[in-house]
Amino acid sequence: MELAGRRSVVGTVVSRLLQAIIVVAIVTTIVFVLIHIAPGDPFTSAMDNPNVTEAMRARWRAMYGLDQPLLEQYVRYLSNVARGNFGWSFSMHRPVIDVLKDALPNTLLLAGTALVLGFAGGIGLAVIQATRPGSRTDRTLGAGSMFFYAMPDFWLALMMMLIFAYWLPWFPVAGAVDPVMHEYMGPLAALADRLKHLALPAITLALLSGAAVARYQRAELLRVLPDDFVRTARAKGLSERRVMWVHVLRNALIPTISLLGLSLPVLFTGAVFIERVFAWPGMGWVILNGVATRDYPLVTAGVIVAAATVTLGSLGADLLYSVADPRIRGR
Amino acid sequence: MPDGRRTALCCALALTAGLFAGCSEKSRTESGGGTLVVSTASDADNLFPPLVMSSQGRQVVEQIFEPLADVGDSLNVFGDAGFIPRLADSWTWSADSLSIAFHLNPRARWHDGKPVRASDVRFTLSLAKNPAVAAPIAPLLSNVDSVSVTDSLTPVFWFKRRSAQQFYDAATVALIVPEHIYGGIAPAALASSDVLRHPVGSGRFKFRRWVPNATIEIVSNREHYRAPAKLDRVIWTIAPGDFSAASTRFLAGEADFFPSVRPDMMAQIAKSPNLRLVEYPGFKFGYMVFNMRDPKNPKAPHPLFHDVAVRRALTMAIDRASLVRNVFDSLAIPSIGPTVRAMGTSDTTIAQIPYDPGSAMRILDSLGWRAAPDGIRVRDGRQLAFTIMVPSSSKDRERLAVLMQDQFKRVGVKVSILSVEPNVFEQQQATHAFDAAIETWLADPSPGGIRESWGSEAARTEGSKNYGDYANSVFDTQVDNALGAPSRSAARLLFSRAFQTLISDAPAIWLFEPRNVVGIQKRIHTAPLRADAWWAHLADWYVPADEQIARDHAGDDIAPRADSPSSKGSS
Repeated sequence: MELAGRRSVVGTVVSRLLQAIIVVAIVTTIVFVLIHIAPGDPFTSAMDNPNVTEAMRARWRAMYGLDQPLLEQYVRYLSNVARGNFGWSFSMHRPVIDVLKDALPNTLLLAGTALVLGFAGGIGLAVIQATRPGSRTDRTLGAGSMFFYAMPDFWLALMMMLIFAYWLPWFPVAGAVDPVMHEYMGPLAALADRLKHLALPAITLALLSGAAVARYQRAELLRVLPDDFVRTARAKGLSERRVMWVHVLRNALIPTISLLGLSLPVLFTGAVFIERVFAWPGMGWVILNGVATRDYPLVTAGVIVAAATVTLGSLGADLLYSVADPRIRGR
Repeated sequence: MPDGRRTALCCALALTAGLFAGCSEKSRTESGGGTLVVSTASDADNLFPPLVMSSQGRQVVEQIFEPLADVGDSLNVFGDAGFIPRLADSWTWSADSLSIAFHLNPRARWHDGKPVRASDVRFTLSLAKNPAVAAPIAPLLSNVDSVSVTDSLTPVFWFKRRSAQQFYDAATVALIVPEHIYGGIAPAALASSDVLRHPVGSGRFKFRRWVPNATIEIVSNREHYRAPAKLDRVIWTIAPGDFSAASTRFLAGEADFFPSVRPDMMAQIAKSPNLRLVEYPGFKFGYMVFNMRDPKNPKAPHPLFHDVAVRRALTMAIDRASLVRNVFDSLAIPSIGPTVRAMGTSDTTIAQIPYDPGSAMRILDSLGWRAAPDGIRVRDGRQLAFTIMVPSSSKDRERLAVLMQDQFKRVGVKVSILSVEPNVFEQQQATHAFDAAIETWLADPSPGGIRESWGSEAARTEGSKNYGDYANSVFDTQVDNALGAPSRSAARLLFSRAFQTLISDAPAIWLFEPRNVVGIQKRIHTAPLRADAWWAHLADWYVPADEQIARDHAGDDIAPRADSPSSKGSS
């Protein structure tokens, strides 16, 4: 029986991975075509330079094969990607793979930290609220989570920067490290510097995601609390803390796991604004800049990474369901 | 314990603990040293002089590399008056003025210690003119036929024809690059070469590190043959694409210099005890260009704007002074034409088409454009209406368009505003698919660029920057005469006539000329900020020893950590 369950899980994973490849291929094709047919090209911004003539732009387009038919460009792009070559970034003036190698860890650090903080904080708040339903604490925390849930991310980021970096200069304004002092710091001071720079963008993202988690989790906890197995657990003499954290919470986690899967793309795209406001050198800014400058290879590669992240995140969430709820494993 | 070791230990302890104010001993002269942190919202495109186009890239490469001579503060581009020796310590004109022999300073060295040679100059020019490199400076070197080498210190420039600006073209346009570093790279592969991210030059600063979208750092070249830079280091700290982060960094004291102060920042800076504002002339101007072609049929003339009387009437309807005051407060003044006041060839007393809505209405009446009951003028069943296109990235230009819309309405002209994404804006202009557009233009010290934006030849060339397709042979001749003038004073007189012709033809409404204002920490002592480049004298800026703070000592006596990306000459 257990073996059959395992085979079923493996089959699901393989099937979902194949689906993911198809999704990524379709998204890549659509983005490739859309960005190429959008007005302008990677050299349009050079028109601001009085010395750049149309003949020079034509020469640049020819150098990078952008004067070829779109289908030919697409076939060449796919064959390059298949060999691990994502092309040359026109806006960053570096190989796309190098740009992504620099940006992706920064985004993962920011999004990962925010994800942990947001979900841990959100679940914690929900437990506090669910143990005191209708109380002043519950109402206050509910209003607070609603406030952050409704807040536009860029506005919250600007307010955080204004309050905690300018009025109360507790944290640095922007960037991933101190541009002047970081490389001269010892390991501990360098780590502290990195954490200081991470704090504001991560807390901002965590507030936004944590507010949603708290609201969903509270509702689910309140739905589970009256169930028979909770009454049984209490009848066994378990402490209220153990009842809540071990029995109730595990059974109320399914919607939160769904939210976790959905949060991967939300964090990824939501981080666009957060990264921009805090000048955090991550994927969000890279893709945004790529779109604005018609950096075809960078945008397409960024979308491939994003699509892959989203599909794998969704698969991860599905696998987590089976961990949280053994009944799902056999399905 | 020796003083030097005590200083090093003091700094190390302070830095490790994150206490940046602990080290009080000074390790440099009383008058120099220090760190300048520049806050900016965009990164450099590359750090290779022939290919660099971005302002940030220019700011850096012009510290690391040098020209043969500098144009000097007078910004004179005629003859060689006012030019300051750089890599060349002297020069000799041939009798027929078709060649100039430069004598290189024999003490000049590249940052890797190798001597600067005439062959480097020849290499640089041949590279910049090579079509495979597609260097943006190539058109500026079109009059340079070739460079020969007489001896290891004497490159000779040969010109195709005599020109008043030939010395400027030869001495300043190309920053000289070392052949032994860049000569081994195929020209077509240069743009994508990693070598471009680790420049080796001969300037008073040398390259230290570039962390893309985060930091660019240069340090004083202590072995420079003329004099090392007074500042120990300059760091560009980049908040990519975000003006508010870049400006807040400066206001919060994390940076020392902010080159793009906006009106809303001025009060905050003025109130701060540590900051000051410095104003300097600029080379930028803005205008609303009329398209002479019909956007629906670019081969036909524009139904409204082909008529100079309509263009003049529309120009009279606009109160430029009030527009500029409303949008820019005191940070701009009305433009004087297709030039700026800082340009040596500009005549600031040139007559403008006056603001006179009464006359504008009379002219339009006389042309048969009569007001309908709704107030909008009509002729032959067609409304006097057009669209102003602006890029959505420029809030200033959007606001100008809104105010102009109101002023045009007062004389019976219906105006719609089309705010489009910058790429669309550029493409619509290049294909003449617009009625009118509010543009800006960044001039350079050489006035020759006016041919590209307003000359008849450019109007006949697809994809040129004469977006309005203006053509007037009288103006072309006057510009040709002015560019051939033997001196700046003679050129000013002749340009004055050319500009008067253009202004009277009203191919555009000349709107604004921004006044450049930068914000600086008071401890930074600057040299004069030049109109074409605030960074021209950056190597002479300094922080007096008694005003230095912790970050002025960044890196003193302490090697960067081994794991630091920059310690690997990072990119």
